[in-house]
Amino acid sequence: MMRLLKKEFRLCMHPAALIMLGLSALVLIPNYPYAVSYFYTTLGIYFICLDGRENHDAAFTLSLPVSRRQAVRCRILFACCLEAAQMLLCGLMILANRALYGGAPNQAGMDANLAVVAQGMILFGLFNLIFFPGWYKDINKIGGAFLRASAAVFFYIALGVAATYAVPFVRDALDQPGTEGRGARIAYTGGALLFFLAATALSARLSARRFEKLDLQL
Amino acid sequence: MEKNEAPLTVRGLTKVYPSFRLDDVSFDLRPGAITGLIGRNGAGKTTALNSILAFTRPDGGDIAFWGMRLAEQAAEIKRRIGFVSAGMTYYTRKKLKTIAAVARSFYPGWDEDTYQTCMRRFGLEEGKTPSQLSNGMKIKFALALALSHGAELMILDEPTSGLDPVSREELTETFLALRDAGKTILFSTHITSDLEKCADHILFIRAGRLTANRPMEEFAAAYRLAECQGGVPESMRPLALGLCRVRDGYTALLNAADAAALGVECRVPTLDEIMVHLDREEAKA
Repeated sequence: MMRLLKKEFRLCMHPAALIMLGLSALVLIPNYPYAVSYFYTTLGIYFICLDGRENHDAAFTLSLPVSRRQAVRCRILFACCLEAAQMLLCGLMILANRALYGGAPNQAGMDANLAVVAQGMILFGLFNLIFFPGWYKDINKIGGAFLRASAAVFFYIALGVAATYAVPFVRDALDQPGTEGRGARIAYTGGALLFFLAATALSARLSARRFEKLDLQL
Repeated sequence: MEKNEAPLTVRGLTKVYPSFRLDDVSFDLRPGAITGLIGRNGAGKTTALNSILAFTRPDGGDIAFWGMRLAEQAAEIKRRIGFVSAGMTYYTRKKLKTIAAVARSFYPGWDEDTYQTCMRRFGLEEGKTPSQLSNGMKIKFALALALSHGAELMILDEPTSGLDPVSREELTETFLALRDAGKTILFSTHITSDLEKCADHILFIRAGRLTANRPMEEFAAAYRLAECQGGVPESMRPLALGLCRVRDGYTALLNAADAAALGVECRVPTLDEIMVHLDREEAKA
């Protein structure tokens, strides 16, 4: 698996995916829906898959001594590496945001705190669950899978912004710039991590099952 | 593994698409020989190879490499085969050395000397990217990778398509050198003149069915071509396996025995002529 992961980094990494990671800096903008910055990494993953299609990545990978299941798991693990990198960067940007603005509240969604990282976990879990099984149904039809996953992602982002005004638990416990509600945010982040892991594991299982049945049009 | 065990055994291979059916294809590959898989475009050559390599899922049949099934021993089999397709260029903007470094890491039996020798022999520079290579050079790079990991069976899908005659000749010579080194080659093409120079065995596929599976000399010797100026004699028409219009009349493909019985002047046809006559007749039917 490590060899395959290395292959992903050396042959499949798209420069846009790295640039998108840099957009974690969007968290430094005052009054901005911070969860949007995660969308750009999903866009980077889309570019990687799109580029892979143009470069016959699936055929190259399957000509190596690996199984289809391993190829799927590794691609999802590769995506998870990018997602984790962005959540880490966003975490650092949250600290920078707090240092810069002294914990000023965000009028466009969640305040810069741990809950923004938790939002990333839920958003990426959702993306992985919808995008990869859709894509592995037919790796030549990547646009539809990305469109469906993006629709879910933006719905979640919009819901997240609305919840900071309309849902008491989110408004009073999670969407707080200070130490108030810290326990709730830690619990929420733990739940989000479990969701991310479960959704990604389910995605890998569904994707592998679909890819096993796929006739590759080479 | 027995020394003379068939590198590839295919039995009853079937793949059904809405508008095409690869039907009940069976053959064995002789070790250390070049086998040509011929047929016109759309006859089913690529479908057969993709099914053999499990890129597409066959609807029926049994495929074994040295007696092993790909579904059960994929890693072991893939270490011993090399696949080269003319239509496929991997990672066009990555340097050849990067692609080779990745491939190298997957094969414990990778032979760096063989790789360097191939790169020199084929005139390939590691600092280039596939996008900077001609089609012939891309195929040679794919061959270099396959040879360096010690592939014993090379499966080549239309490797000479789109190449100029000189590049095709060079590749044909390379295939012969590989055969002399004991490699087994399965080579699909619709450019049959390439096979005339190197193939030991012919598999002829027409409309998804394998209609010939014979040694090269036997395949060519089974037919005769009569050149009929003006028109085709009535006595020849029912025996003709295929007719083609040419500048001064017709050419008729006959079974060698029928040609002898007719007593007409004939010659041994080329693979190209056999394929064209048989396919034309089928199209008319």
